[in-house]
Formats: sequence, C-alpha cells, structure tokens
Amino acid sequence: MSQASKSPAIESVWRGGVSPFAVSWRKLMMWLFIITDGLLFAGLLAGYGFVRLASPHWPNRAEIFHLDFIALMTFILITSSATMATAVGAARQGRLGTAVRFVLLTILGGLGFLSCQAYEWTKLIGEGARLSTNPWGVPLFSAAFFIITGFHGAHVLTGVIILSVVAARALRRGVSPEGVELAGLYWHFVDLVWVFIFTLFYLI
Amino acid sequence: MGERPLGHGYRIYWIVWGILLIVTLGMAVVGTTALTTFLILVLLLGMLVKASLITGYFMHLRFERTSLILAVAVGLLVTAGVLFFLIAPDGLRVLNSRSPAGDLHIGGGR
Repeated sequence: MSQASKSPAIESVWRGGVSPFAVSWRKLMMWLFIITDGLLFAGLLAGYGFVRLASPHWPNRAEIFHLDFIALMTFILITSSATMATAVGAARQGRLGTAVRFVLLTILGGLGFLSCQAYEWTKLIGEGARLSTNPWGVPLFSAAFFIITGFHGAHVLTGVIILSVVAARALRRGVSPEGVELAGLYWHFVDLVWVFIFTLFYLI
Repeated sequence: MGERPLGHGYRIYWIVWGILLIVTLGMAVVGTTALTTFLILVLLLGMLVKASLITGYFMHLRFERTSLILAVAVGLLVTAGVLFFLIAPDGLRVLNSRSPAGDLHIGGGR
C-alpha cells in the first residue's frame, strides 16, 4: 500500500486540482509577478554592469553622493520592511488594529525614502546631471543612475499607494490577512531590489 | 505550509532587522575604502546575505514548500549567472578594444 502510494502521491500533486506549491492562487500570482519584476531589474542592472565594465572611466561615487545619506535611505527601507513584516504577523493573528498601525509606519518609511530620493535627484539635477549628460564626463553614469533609481522609486511609490489602500480597507475591516501579506510581499521585494542597487551602484 | 512561522510573534523580524542593519553598516564602511578584489567579493557576499535574509524571513520563503523555493530562487539565480557570464566578457572586450586615449562618450552620450 505504502509502496504503491509513493509515486502516485508525487504525481497527484502535479496532476491538477491542487496547488503544487501549497499556496493560494493569489499568493502564487504575486510570486510570479515578483519573479518577472525581478527579471526587469536584473536586466537594468546587467545593462549597467555592461556599461560600467566597458567604460574606461567611471565617476567616483564618493565625490558625487554622500554615502552616509544613502546608508540612511537603506536604513529607512530596511526598517520599513521590518514594520511591514510585523504588520503581516499581526494581521495573521487577527490583530487588525496593530496591523494597521504598522502598515502606517511602513507608509511613513516609504514616504521618508521617497523624500530622500527626491532630495538626491534635485541635488544631482542642480549640479547639471541629465539623462544623457553630466558634469562628470561619463554620460551613461547619469543615465544608469536616473533609470535604475527612477524605476525603483516608482516601485516604492506604487508600494505606498498599495499600502494606503490596504490600510484604508483594514480600517473598515475589508481586508483579509492574506491581503496584508500580499502587499507585504511586494514591499519586501522593493526592499530586496534596493539591496542590489545599494551594493552594485553606490558601493562597488 | 506558509502559515507555520507567522503565529510565533514578531521577534524574529526584529532580529533579522538588526542583522541587516549590522551588515549594511559594515558594507557602507567597506564601501568608503579603496576597493580591492577581495573587498568587492566581501560586498557581494554581504549583498547575498541580506537578500537571503529578506526573502527567507521577511517574505517567508524559507517556510514555503521546496517547489516554490526552487521556482523562485533557481530561476532568478540562473538568470543572474547567465547575464553575468554573457555580459562580463563582452563588456571587458569593449573596454580592451578602445583606444588608449579613451573616448569617454560611449553609446548614448553622443
């Protein structure tokens, strides 16, 4: 009996009618979105890598950016991820009030990050950086900067909007714990992408 | 399934937050020094540690079924590897084929 059930058990998982990944379809769709969106950033960072390797010179980032400021932005985003994870945990326990408080803290973190990014962009534009030219002699430096951080910033802004909707719906008890979790998955993905941008663009 | 770790309080998230913070600070300090190949590898390792902690704990991936972990991680890691091995040699070839005087305006800068 047990011998016979071994391979059919594996087979039946993939035969249809059940989720082979043991998650709901909504969560699976969010993961698929995250994978495809991850590939978008992989492409952008790969393009940046190519330009960087092919350029004889690359501006010294320490002369252009304040690394402490970028580290502060990273700190804000990591902290917002922790508050989001706490919100998801609270929602799972049915503590919607706590979940909403932590979602609001996460939104605050997102807005703080966006403000820092707006300041950084304004500063660079003020120094003469544009999409195709800049004062540091490597035009593709500012192209890579604006495109990569711009795409990421747009994701953060989208995340803030999603979280605002989740918070508003949670206040009316119109959101399921899984709804909070899915918004959380997206938010952590935004944080995850920044880990790569921070290291590959600002540090190395 | 995915529900297991979520009912045990939030302590783990703040422990992970602390580790992420320490790794980030360490990386920021390393980033201010003159980077050698070894230090670049250290930074890349730090980056992967942070990415693993975020996906593993914040996104709960390590508590999901192995099939989902493999579907997410293997696809992205293989893509990253393929992109690196395709692009790195090509980028270096472009660099080496350039004149020593070094025209800085590559591609879109014209």
